[in-house]
Amino acid sequence: MISSFIANPAFLEDIIRILFVFVLITAAFTLSTRNIASLLTVYAVQSLLMVLIAIFLYMIEGNKTLIAIAALTLVSKVLLIPLFIDLIGEKIKISRDLKFNYLEPTASLIVSMGLILLAYVFLSGFFSELIMSKLFFMGAVIGLSLTLMGMLVIFSRRKVITKAIGYLTMENGVLLFGIFVADLPFIIEILIVIDLMILVLLTTILAIGLDSTIEEYHQRLQTLKIWSGSGD
Amino acid sequence: MLEAFIYIAVIALITGTVLPLLYSSKKSRKASFGLSFVSSIFLLVFAGTILYTGEESVFPAIRFIPGLDFTLTADRLSGGFILLIAAVVSGVSIYSVEYVEHAKSEARKDLQAALTNLFILAMMMVVLAGNMVCFLVFWEIMSLSSLMLVLHDYFSEENKKAGLFYFIMTSLSTAFLFMGFISLFKLTGSAEFGSLNYPASDLTLPFLCLFTGFGIKAGLVPFHKWLPYAHPAAPSSISALMSGVMLKVAIYGFLRFLLSISTPELWWGTLILIAGSLSAVLGVIYAVKESDIKRLLAYSSIENIGIIFTGIGLYLIFKLEGVESLALLSLAGACFHAFNHALFKSLLFLGAGSVVHATGTRNIEAFGGLIKRMPHTTTLFLIASVSIAGLPPTSGFVSEMMLFQAYFYSSALPDPLLKVLLIITLSVLALTSALAAALFVKLFGITFLALPRTRCAQEATEVPKPMLLGEAMLAIFCILSGLFSSRILALLDFDLGIPDMLLLGLILVGTCGLVRIAVRNSGPSKTRTSKETWGCGILDQLPTMEYTSAGFSEPLVVIFKKIYRTEISSTRTYSDTKESIFNSGTAKIHLIKFFQERLYLPVAYAVSLISSQVSRMQNGKLDTYVLYVFIAVLTLMTFTRYFA
Amino acid sequence: MNASFLLFTLLNTGFILLVSPLFMSLIKKVKAYAQGRKGPSLLQNYLDLRKLIQKEVVYSPNSSGIMRVTPYLNLAVLLLASLFVPVVFIPDAPAGIGNIIVFLYLLAIERFFTALCGLDAGSSFGGMGSSRLMSLSAVIEPTMVIAFAALAYVLRTVNFHEMFAITAGSTIPESPTLTLISISLFIIIIVETGRIPVDNPATHLELTMMNEAMILEQSGKNLALIELTHAVKQTILMAILINVLVPWGLVTKLTFAGLAVSCLYFLLKASLLAGLIGLFESSIAKMRLFRLPSFYMMAFFFSALTILMEVFA
Repeated sequence: MISSFIANPAFLEDIIRILFVFVLITAAFTLSTRNIASLLTVYAVQSLLMVLIAIFLYMIEGNKTLIAIAALTLVSKVLLIPLFIDLIGEKIKISRDLKFNYLEPTASLIVSMGLILLAYVFLSGFFSELIMSKLFFMGAVIGLSLTLMGMLVIFSRRKVITKAIGYLTMENGVLLFGIFVADLPFIIEILIVIDLMILVLLTTILAIGLDSTIEEYHQRLQTLKIWSGSGD
Repeated sequence: MLEAFIYIAVIALITGTVLPLLYSSKKSRKASFGLSFVSSIFLLVFAGTILYTGEESVFPAIRFIPGLDFTLTADRLSGGFILLIAAVVSGVSIYSVEYVEHAKSEARKDLQAALTNLFILAMMMVVLAGNMVCFLVFWEIMSLSSLMLVLHDYFSEENKKAGLFYFIMTSLSTAFLFMGFISLFKLTGSAEFGSLNYPASDLTLPFLCLFTGFGIKAGLVPFHKWLPYAHPAAPSSISALMSGVMLKVAIYGFLRFLLSISTPELWWGTLILIAGSLSAVLGVIYAVKESDIKRLLAYSSIENIGIIFTGIGLYLIFKLEGVESLALLSLAGACFHAFNHALFKSLLFLGAGSVVHATGTRNIEAFGGLIKRMPHTTTLFLIASVSIAGLPPTSGFVSEMMLFQAYFYSSALPDPLLKVLLIITLSVLALTSALAAALFVKLFGITFLALPRTRCAQEATEVPKPMLLGEAMLAIFCILSGLFSSRILALLDFDLGIPDMLLLGLILVGTCGLVRIAVRNSGPSKTRTSKETWGCGILDQLPTMEYTSAGFSEPLVVIFKKIYRTEISSTRTYSDTKESIFNSGTAKIHLIKFFQERLYLPVAYAVSLISSQVSRMQNGKLDTYVLYVFIAVLTLMTFTRYFA
Repeated sequence: MNASFLLFTLLNTGFILLVSPLFMSLIKKVKAYAQGRKGPSLLQNYLDLRKLIQKEVVYSPNSSGIMRVTPYLNLAVLLLASLFVPVVFIPDAPAGIGNIIVFLYLLAIERFFTALCGLDAGSSFGGMGSSRLMSLSAVIEPTMVIAFAALAYVLRTVNFHEMFAITAGSTIPESPTLTLISISLFIIIIVETGRIPVDNPATHLELTMMNEAMILEQSGKNLALIELTHAVKQTILMAILINVLVPWGLVTKLTFAGLAVSCLYFLLKASLLAGLIGLFESSIAKMRLFRLPSFYMMAFFFSALTILMEVFA
């Protein structure tokens, strides 16, 4: 009975749709969660969802690259990156990110609903739905919205760690968009992952070496006259 | 034959207007209100017949000036609104017989009686008007008579301000109506109301003008500010008429125009829907914060007008997308809500009038415990509260349910983006109706339940019988229109498939009885009633321990603080330089009146700036005026030579 | 009003009344186990109700008729609502019974009068409870309506009876949306029955309570009725979730064997769900009152996404 479900593409598509919703929910959590440890878990879960989506898509399409992407994502984003960031967290002893710029969590959720709509309207202008199947179109929409929500995280949260997670979320969005629309070559995906690793390393240096918020970082730069933002 | 009813009603109302002005006595005032009651009965019969048979009755035109006829017609739409007027007037006129006697001087009492009749007459004639001239003339009479009623207590500074505010807004509304009607007249060449078969692009300007004009009068956000000023200032019976009927007359005017257009555009529907939803939710959010009983009810009127406009917007959208059944459902929902709101809101205003009369204040914080002192008023007020909170099987629920049902079936729409719009406005409507329930728990609970908070509530007594009778009349209408809603709508040939409230009501009452019987015989028969409310061991509970109105709405104020835009500012002085020993300080919570401070006042400043510039040209010297004429003649000559 | 419906009225209402207290104690039991206690017996709630119903009612002298009528009215309202959610079999109901919107507003009646009751005795606890209840229920209302609208969207009807007839007729959930809706429905159960993280049903401390605060002044028979009302409400909401997500076993035709199967299946599924609720409650902490709107916003975001998926796909 179970095997008959798995062989049925309609059933798999339904599952992918459900996963889409969960992906957006994780993004919503990244926007509003205050506890850094749970923020990290949310990111890991989000990446795991990416892995699952890639695997299910492979079952429908049979494209081998998808499996490779799934494996790479599992190793890098579900395991390694969260581990790194966890290490940073331990070093700098920040457990919470409480303050928000411009948008409170409730407002940013409303904004992200608007973003999803915008993504839908924007993409439906480009892709005629006749060319693409509904599922792939949805994938593109969700990918784009995820990228935008990641951007929202970057500017609405204060701490560097959270900002880094916002960036990682954006990357997940690009990945999603890629596997559903652009047929992202595998090599680019690898390059992006390497980029991410470097980003996380840089964040580590920044966060541990200097301080925990970008503003304080700027202040330090100013007092050291490395970067004269105030123009004196 | 049927037309005779209208003539009788008109004569009765005119007599009612003139009588108290000629003979100033309690008797003549009584007769005056008696006449308005009589006219309401005739109108009820007339409207009922028109609605049931669906025939149109046209009255012979009355010609004042050649080319400008007064024509009166009545079709089902106007029949429905006449029914609404008549139902409310029947209750209010009985109530006023006693209520008017509490005015300060004889002259004011007479004036109030006369103007009430004139006001009713004008509203009735607006609804019956068959052409634009007639409509606008009676519209102005309606506005001015209500203005004078708002100003009845003209010595109070607050009322003067309210009157001025109302006057400006209502003039603005009329100005927009004039613009709209003139542009329609230019298009059609006729002042008669008739079907408008013109391309939508030609009708955009009239639509925008009329939507703004009627929107101002109906109290749509952002033109709503006059309501919370005018309603508390007017006597309660007039607030009931204004809120219950006059706002609906504006809706009637808008519907009259909208339904005559054969090719509306989709964005009109979207605009109406968004404006309606916004009014609904903002109205109720502002109402929650209020603690002046009549101002609270005024804000709640804004909310309900918003709901009605939501229904109209839905109607347009469904109609243009070709979903006829849902279009009918939403239009019927909007009209039925207008009718129901007229009933329960006037009942609430009358109830508020009784409470204010008994206690002498409008502040909810001063009330409490009135259920023991004014049991009948309380019961009637509860009926209206339950109705307006939209609880089944009352009338307020039925009309809201019709809109919800239209929303729930909207998956039939083809356009996904339109569906999204409907989902957003649906959640706004849900929020509105839940907040309305919270609002009326607060209003009813704080006003009538628990212990009286002040002496004036302590010493309140039940109001005289006629006032109760007037309220009871409305309450009965309210209950009947709820229980028999599906039957009434079926009788009018609207087959909408809505649940039968009579059945639900009967089951509810039956179950209540069964539960009562089931537990009656268990346990000791005697119940002890005299045990203190538990106060953590404190005996002799005081009224100061009760929850207050402000306390009740505090969680909502915190949740919606972005909308209330409160500003908290504090200043502190310290006794020492290190700022550690606190000396004195002030803390202020300031509520930004968003629309007033950010929209109305800037516009007002701009207008006054321009007019001060213009008035400089008006210096009173004859020579200057001749100069103006000279320049005008020269300009005209040049213009006609080269450009025309 | 046909015979099938009359029979349904008796059976459905009777069954729900009978099993409701069981699920309340089941949740308590699961929570007790999660905390390493043994917990009260599964029959404790029945015993409590029997004890309460035999006790005299004490009214505060400040209170009015509202206090006296509300317990009866609320139970009647919930029993009426139970007709809307078929558990034993799906009857040919008269038009209007089963309408989602009416159902939602029947719950609103219960809330309205409970809140008035809280204000009636003039205690500050009661006032606080009703203020909080009405405020927070206003904020959760959009989520509820959207979730139910999503149901109506997917199943193309606004009647519970017809909905369940559709879901019971298929072997797997009709669309992915239904699975997602059931998560929203789960959140709604938690919120509406006042469980952690929204409210803590086990405390009587002023800091945490909402529902308990409003019924502080209730006693004896009336308290029993209120407790029963609460239990019935929980069962009905659970039944909706069960009939949407795992409708197997619900019969559409009236036979004796089918009836027994239906009841048995429901008992089993609802017990599992009750266990799940208990575990959920044990696994998280009570939220601060003003953190709740943001939790509700998350729930709304979720339900809105669900319905958006349905619209776009």
